Amino acid sequence: MKAFEEKWTAWVDGQLSGRELFEFEASLPDKAAAEAERTGALKLGELLKRELSARTLTNEEFFGHQLRQSVARLRETPVGQARETRSIWWTIPRLLWTGGASLAVFLVFTVLVMHEKNPAKESQYVTQILNARVDPVVSPNATVSIFEVKQDRVTVLWTEGLQSLPADYAAK
Amino acid sequence: MQTEATLAQADVSELDLVRRCQAGDTEAFDELVTRYRTRVFSMIYNMVHSEQDAWDLAQDSFLKAWKSIKRFRGSSSFYTWIYRIVMNVTIDWLRKKHVRGAGAEFNDETQLREIDPASQTVPKTEALPYETMERGEIRTRIDQAIAQLSPEQRAVILMKEIEGMQYHEIAEALGCSIGTVMSRLFYARKKLQTLLKDVYESI
Repeated sequence: MKAFEEKWTAWVDGQLSGRELFEFEASLPDKAAAEAERTGALKLGELLKRELSARTLTNEEFFGHQLRQSVARLRETPVGQARETRSIWWTIPRLLWTGGASLAVFLVFTVLVMHEKNPAKESQYVTQILNARVDPVVSPNATVSIFEVKQDRVTVLWTEGLQSLPADYAAK
Repeated sequence: MQTEATLAQADVSELDLVRRCQAGDTEAFDELVTRYRTRVFSMIYNMVHSEQDAWDLAQDSFLKAWKSIKRFRGSSSFYTWIYRIVMNVTIDWLRKKHVRGAGAEFNDETQLREIDPASQTVPKTEALPYETMERGEIRTRIDQAIAQLSPEQRAVILMKEIEGMQYHEIAEALGCSIGTVMSRLFYARKKLQTLLKDVYESI
């Protein structure tokens, strides 16, 4: 809903019509006074237009000339400024790159170290893969693992894919 | 009076000039400046009341326009776009000079409470016959009256009465709502009617 000021302005400028115009004019307590106000506003507009429109730019050509020079200077300076800016701004990406890379290396290192440390802490088994002791010709897909808990003196030998047991194992 | 066809041609050529400016053509920009420099200067002069300041601000406005011409997308007319720059530059300048209009009543927030919208205008001084007033005197009176308005009210009334801009164009140029434009126009008129009634009534 429009405020009174908005309706009044629209009314003065002849922008109200139909029902809106009827309702607004009906709401005016003193229509004659309002009409006088509107006439005054229109006269004010005429006065401003007549007196203020006359102000023109003297030395138009000089204005244009001065502006052309400023634009030309502006077109020249970006090259120098760009170099300067680039030399300043190049260090910032470099710093960011260096910082980012250092952080990434640190994170990778930390994750790896933690990853290596944690299983030892969490698991009490020491696992060894003994592929070297399996004959790849006889058992090409074989894996042999040993799980041991030194504290309890328990050792488990886990074999997979063996076609035959190595002779030295059988001996032990 | 321009027909719609010639207006359309003018628009097309103006858009063409803008496109050329965007490609870095300074001659096209010079052509746009030639078209608008007097209007821009006049508008600023009427707001700041100093020829030298108006000159500098007009130069500054056009330079800003050149710098940002690549951002002009053509969603509004070029002249609304340039007026937006002009208004930003001028209003910022007036604010830096702490120009807020005379008295707290011209703060947009407080005047809503302090001025009765239905009040009738009363001449501040006794009526002077128009004939006896020199033109310079009239302009001085008008300048003094406009100086009593806030920068935003000056912008609104000048764009409406001098430039004949529509509410929506003024709103676009000032970056505010149409309702705000109409409200500012209301209070600007009320104030100027009070201060200049004797002048326009004697015409």
